[in-house]
Parts: sequence; C-alpha cells; structure tokens
Amino acid sequence: MLLKTINLFALILMLIITHKTKAATQEFRLTLKNHIFTPSEIIIPANTKVKLLIINQDNTIEEFDSFDLNREKVLFPKKIGRVFIGPLLPGRYEYFGEYFPHTARGIVIVEAKHVD
Amino acid sequence: MKFIGILLIVFSSVVSADGIVVDKVYQPYVLPNEIEFEWRLLSRQTEKGNVLGQRIAFGKALNEQLMAEIYLVGEETNVESFALQAYEIELRWMLTEQGEMWADWGMLFELEKRHRSEDWEFTTGLLFEKELGATSLTLNAFTVYEWGKNQKNELEAEFRLKYRYRLMAELQPAIEIYTGESFIGVGPAFMGIIRIDRNRQFKWEAGFITEIKNPVKDHSFRLALEYEF
Repeated sequence: MLLKTINLFALILMLIITHKTKAATQEFRLTLKNHIFTPSEIIIPANTKVKLLIINQDNTIEEFDSFDLNREKVLFPKKIGRVFIGPLLPGRYEYFGEYFPHTARGIVIVEAKHVD
Repeated sequence: MKFIGILLIVFSSVVSADGIVVDKVYQPYVLPNEIEFEWRLLSRQTEKGNVLGQRIAFGKALNEQLMAEIYLVGEETNVESFALQAYEIELRWMLTEQGEMWADWGMLFELEKRHRSEDWEFTTGLLFEKELGATSLTLNAFTVYEWGKNQKNELEAEFRLKYRYRLMAELQPAIEIYTGESFIGVGPAFMGIIRIDRNRQFKWEAGFITEIKNPVKDHSFRLALEYEF
C-alpha cells in the first residue's frame, strides 16, 4: 500500500513538472493610481492565456478581485502584481479592487480577433 | 477524466479503517494578509446511529504561499454528549500562482491530537484545481498516518473531488466525491461568497453525501461557514 501511495504521488509530481507552461505569455500592463485602474478597459485575445502586470502606485494595499475571471490577488503598495488569466471565450469580464470598489474598477474585453 | 479515474481506483482500493471521510475539499490557494474564522458541522446518519461533529478554527496567512489554521474538534454520538475530542494544526501551501500553469497546485499538512489521550494523526497530500470554462475541478489526494496508545499504527489514503459550476458568486452548485476508509460517497454540494465590505467576506459551503459502496444507510450533511477579513 505504501509503495502504491508513493508511486501515485510521484506520478502527480511528474504531472506538475511536465505541465509547466513554457511558452512566453503575452503581457498586459495596468496601473493602479489614486485607486483607479488605468487603462480601465483592456482587450486581450480569445482562447489565450495572458499575464496582467498590475503596478500599484498607491501607498495602500489593494486586492484585485473578479468573479468573472475567477481571480483574487493582493496588490501590495509600490509593487507589481502578476495575475494570469485565460484562456477565455470572447466577452466582457469585470474586475474591481476590494478596498476601493467604487473607483478601482475595470473590464477585460476578450475578442476573437484581437488587435493591440 | 482518465487521470481522475485512476486516482479514484487507487485511492478506493488502498484504504481500510475507522474515521469519517466527508469533510471539505480544499482549494490550493492562499491570499496574503488573510485572516479567517471557520465553523464546520458534520452530521452523519448510519444504521448504528448519528454522529455530530463540529470544529471551530482560526486561520492566518503567514506569507504569500502559506496559511496556518488551528482547530478545536468536538463530537457528539448516541452514547456521548458533545465534548472536545481533538486539536489540530493545519498548514496549506500554495505551490503555483493561480492560472500560471496547466493547473493550480498546493499541499496540505495536518497534525491532530486526540484530547486527553496520546493518539495522533498526520495528514499530508496534494491539492489541485483546474479551471474548465465556467466550471472548476478541485481534487485532494491525502495520505493519513495514525498512531498512538489507543489506536493501531495505520496508513490510509483519502481522495476528495469537487466539480463546481461558477454560476454566481453567492451560489455555486457542485458535485462532491469522497473515498477512503472503505467508503465511497457522492452527492450534491453548494458554495457561495457573500461580500460584506472591502476585503471582508463570508463563505459558505454545504453538501449532502451518500455512501454508495455498501448497501447500508450512510448519509452525511456537511456545512462550513467562514468569515474572512
């Protein structure tokens, strides 16, 4: 039984290693300043994983939250937070900052034919 | 799905013992600065009678990858009134950034001591979540080692699965599967998040799990409430 369990964990660990994403992920930059995300709308390609680099220029902590994108990420002051999203179907996906939800808001627009 | 099938077969074939398998399907995520209070209830009805288990917990993120939680576990049976049964410390470790890889991975470590007896249980294993469109598949694969003065040394395996449809934040229906301790249980579950203010939120989970391996009455109802801030 012990051997079987060890083998199973080894198999799972192998899956972790072998499924590591190696292709370069396209990056999109957002800035949080005065509790406002800029740009407030970004367009990303459909069915593609992308990386959002969110630069928190405020002196306060913020939490990126989106049920649409299924992501939560703490954004520390004066730091860059990474949020991986997708692959997504075409549509509009809203996000907001938990600490300042009335001003810190934005939309990720996913388009089938994406233009930078 | 083949991968899940293999896990189910392996984990349902290597187990034999005594405890309760239905609990919570853990997600492999940790949020820095998070503090939480948690209450869990499990009511299990079998032909032998009812068991009511409750646990309260306090949890705190130690850094961006680690979350520690301390539990007090209480239990009530047909012959014993509700009383403290065990203490537990748990460490959840987020191994990968959400969405960065093909799937998200984490690990869990739990150490439990029975109240007023030198009996211990150590659990460790992998936490997995894969986003599939508007649904999420969460898997837990655990190895459990028990030892002590009043129990024989025993190594067990447990497997938990949750397949969740992210309908809306407040209500997300799911199917849960639990295997372990000669038990295979399946049933519907629900979870949701109710946002209170800023980063304060209330999470709830409920599930109705029925044993399907043996032709006996064995139903479990589980409820978990978490206050996060």
